[in-house]
Amino acid sequence: MKHYLDLIAISAGRHKKQTRMTRLCIVLAVFLVTVIFGMADMEMRAQMIQAVKSDGNWHAGFVVDAETGALIGERPEVERIARYGVVNYGLQDGYRIGGVETCVCGLDADLLEMFPAVTVLEGRFPQQDDEAMLNEAVKSRLGLRVGDLVSLTVPRGESRQYRITGITKDMILTAEHDAFGMLLTAEGYDALHTGETDAEQEMVYFVQFKKFCNIQKAIGDISTQFGLAPEQVRQNAKVLMLMFQSGDSYLMKFYFVAAVLAVLVAVAGIFMIAASMNSNIARRTEFFGMMRCLGATKRQVICFVKREALGWCRLAVPAGLLAGVVTVWAACGMLRLLSPGLFDSMPALGVSVLSLVAGTLIGLVTVLLAAGAPAKKAAGVSPLTAVSGNAGTVQAAKRAADTRGFKVDTALGVHHAAGSRRNFFLVTGSFAFSIILFLAFGTAIDFMHHAIMPLRPQAPDFYAFAADYANIIPAELAEQLQEHPGVKRAFGRGYAQVTAQLDGQQTLFTILSYDAQQFRWAGRGLLKGNLADAEEGKGVLLAWREEGQVPVGSKLTLSVGGEDREVSVVGILGDVPFSHGTAANTGSSEVLLICSEALFRNLTGETGYAVLDMQMEQAIEETEVQQIRKKIEQACGTGISFADKRLSNQEVKGASYSLSVFLYGFLVIIAMLAFFNIINCIAMSVSARMREYGVMRAIGMSVRQLVRMIVGETLAYMVSGAVFGCLIGLPINRILFEALVTSRWGEAWEVPVWELAVIVAVMGCALCLAVAGPARQIRQMTVVDTIGEA
Amino acid sequence: MEIVRVEKLSKTYGKGEAQVAALKNVSFSMERGQFGAVVGESGSGKSTLLNCVGGLDRADAGKVFIGDRDLFAMGEEERTIFRRQNIGFIFQSFHLIPELNVEQNIIFPLLLDYRKPEQTRVEEILEVLGLTNRRKHLPGQLSGGQQQRVAIGRALITRPALVLADEPTGNLDSRNSEDVMDLLCKASRHYQQTVLMITHNRNLTSAADRVFQVTDGTLCELGGDRR
Repeated sequence: MKHYLDLIAISAGRHKKQTRMTRLCIVLAVFLVTVIFGMADMEMRAQMIQAVKSDGNWHAGFVVDAETGALIGERPEVERIARYGVVNYGLQDGYRIGGVETCVCGLDADLLEMFPAVTVLEGRFPQQDDEAMLNEAVKSRLGLRVGDLVSLTVPRGESRQYRITGITKDMILTAEHDAFGMLLTAEGYDALHTGETDAEQEMVYFVQFKKFCNIQKAIGDISTQFGLAPEQVRQNAKVLMLMFQSGDSYLMKFYFVAAVLAVLVAVAGIFMIAASMNSNIARRTEFFGMMRCLGATKRQVICFVKREALGWCRLAVPAGLLAGVVTVWAACGMLRLLSPGLFDSMPALGVSVLSLVAGTLIGLVTVLLAAGAPAKKAAGVSPLTAVSGNAGTVQAAKRAADTRGFKVDTALGVHHAAGSRRNFFLVTGSFAFSIILFLAFGTAIDFMHHAIMPLRPQAPDFYAFAADYANIIPAELAEQLQEHPGVKRAFGRGYAQVTAQLDGQQTLFTILSYDAQQFRWAGRGLLKGNLADAEEGKGVLLAWREEGQVPVGSKLTLSVGGEDREVSVVGILGDVPFSHGTAANTGSSEVLLICSEALFRNLTGETGYAVLDMQMEQAIEETEVQQIRKKIEQACGTGISFADKRLSNQEVKGASYSLSVFLYGFLVIIAMLAFFNIINCIAMSVSARMREYGVMRAIGMSVRQLVRMIVGETLAYMVSGAVFGCLIGLPINRILFEALVTSRWGEAWEVPVWELAVIVAVMGCALCLAVAGPARQIRQMTVVDTIGEA
Repeated sequence: MEIVRVEKLSKTYGKGEAQVAALKNVSFSMERGQFGAVVGESGSGKSTLLNCVGGLDRADAGKVFIGDRDLFAMGEEERTIFRRQNIGFIFQSFHLIPELNVEQNIIFPLLLDYRKPEQTRVEEILEVLGLTNRRKHLPGQLSGGQQQRVAIGRALITRPALVLADEPTGNLDSRNSEDVMDLLCKASRHYQQTVLMITHNRNLTSAADRVFQVTDGTLCELGGDRR
């Protein structure tokens, strides 16, 4: 030993157990911060992958003429510029290949770099005006190959010939509408567009700016320089937001919310470490008194405490970082498992530098900040303390416990919590912070539920529908297709339109037939009545109407094919997701009725379906899909249309999964923060007072009474923490909810009951565990050894 | 009337070569109102004897009867409750509860029994201890002598049959030591409580009815200085 600070290492070796709690606290705080920042970073990456896949990775688009476009391309901040134009995006203008509506795009080859979702499966991008690239549906449905000529029928009746130079993967738009997609060179498109429409050429110049460029400023400069109107400028909002380059006021609110939450997380970490250090120092009053007694100056004691704290960081910070990184890996792994294919480009073992920096900073800075106050306190210990009788137990109380309100054990417990204002503030503050964080992050879940509609269980991956919603699909086809390889489930619905008197008016009704599976799904949305009665054909279910409800049990007289049929209303459904050909599509105010297939047959005489939905295995072969298609076409003839929702479903699922993993992960982490914090605080408090407990046991306090005392202490912290947490957390929850949800979707704020219930449950569990550990410790305690009287 | 009876008490610490016999077949008994003093070198086993007699520690062999109750035949919880109702402890380091004031510290054993203290009894003890005007003070605001008087008050409040004192004057000056001894004598004479006190100070044994010496875990009676 050459220096007085060498005592730190010697003391640490001897008192490993004493400092274990504090070291654990640092590990936990660093872990939580690393996980939160790491998950945020990974979520940003996942969202970026999603955004680039769905919207492309361009930054801005300018609707300008060729000359301006060329000038924009010359600007130093522009990395890449490419032209893009489209006709028949709505798939109803009469551009057709083989009778199928075709969306025709003109673009520069460079644009493909900005839209990674446009995958070239074979061949190359067209180079001549009369060359084209087509989506793979053309290949599978029309049997065309690279090198073949394809004929595009145009609205004015002529047809244009193009040589196929390549095949691309199907896109969401074309798959969903069962349409074709055709890519031409910008020049080829120009020739088609100006030849077929009288409109002037309208191309968008998509721009990718260079790295580290201030995009908003660049867009502003370009707009000003060329006098562009706002409608001539487009921004890729999602990508820009994820690059922190958006100027959108709603997104700015989003950043603000994220910043508030990050600060809250950091403060929670600071509270946790500070409370632990405070308790650690308080426990060693006698030791510091002895140091002072032996001649250590106040400055030396402060230096000792700070060095000691930094020494704990040496192992605790890397341990926290490592645990955090591994947890983030697990979350990313889960994401890849939940949505295979979508997040493949996300690194499985990626390390977020942001999280490491945040974790290390929180660890080191917090420990230094947190060590400051206890260090001063330690330095302030009088040398006399070491030699006086009461040192080494606990710090001297400043006021007496109130033993009138509670039994003495509970009263002492409450006093242990509230006796020292600083400690009470720190512990209560850290509990309250967990609640505030939980309530604050809870709004993000509400935001997610509004922003991203999760895929409904009944959502089809692929469906066939009769063009005029005639019930021409044989019901047996559903059973046959159910057995087809790659099909998880096939189910159909019949559609019929009838009229009936409702509210004194002749009203149009659409009747839908449900099978058993669809009734099961509908069960969740049943507002009133009995689902079983509808399933057994005893009556119909009515969809909820804003205008007013028909009472359950009342009769409706339906006019079906000129004949009046009476049916009972046996229930009201809040949500009917199948709306093809109904109010949602036509805008009319018709009413939806749902009945069993048997009743549908009985009422309408129709035995088939108008819509046949299929849910498919993720790995279904494309050839199987084509076979299914053929099977349906054979059974139903040409009046049938198809929609392939697999791509868009996958996207919805991916977005929903990634955000769910991230947000629920956050909530779990915050709940863990509250959980460990409570356990840790109580364990520290108990170990600090062990000698006092020993004395109480010697005087005659039973173990049960001691446990009651600890429960009293824990409850005092928890109740006050919960009250403060709610007092501050609920207004924050409201402000964030109004900023994120009310401002966009208009939904009014309500007290977040489930969040409160979860946090109370977590705290309840933590209370049980927090007391169980010390109770065991007390049971095993040897009174004589503890009070040191042997 | 016999208040405490110790039969063949043995206690060993450590294992193998490090084994130390703290008590070897110790037997003695004390009558109601007797004042006993235990002397001996440091590490001779005095404190172990006191802790075993008080039920704070378990012996390896032997029995301790307080009245007619065998301490070691009781379960942990039962022994704790018996101890707080029948045995008063006074420690060298006082061991007061820092967050309770003088009065609360004194009535603490009664509060543990969820009993309401008799106010006259509390006043009497405070008066005897000379702490009436310090009743609302916290231990941190008292001198060592005052703290030990509070500890004595705490040991006497339940009117225990047996009071065990482990070097009660060890941390006190001669003036305060005298006061403490007076109080213990009063407990023995006035309240007819049996007192067993450990001390290093041979001078203090002059107040005792019986004096025991512990040497290497063996107890022998030296006789009584006072009677």
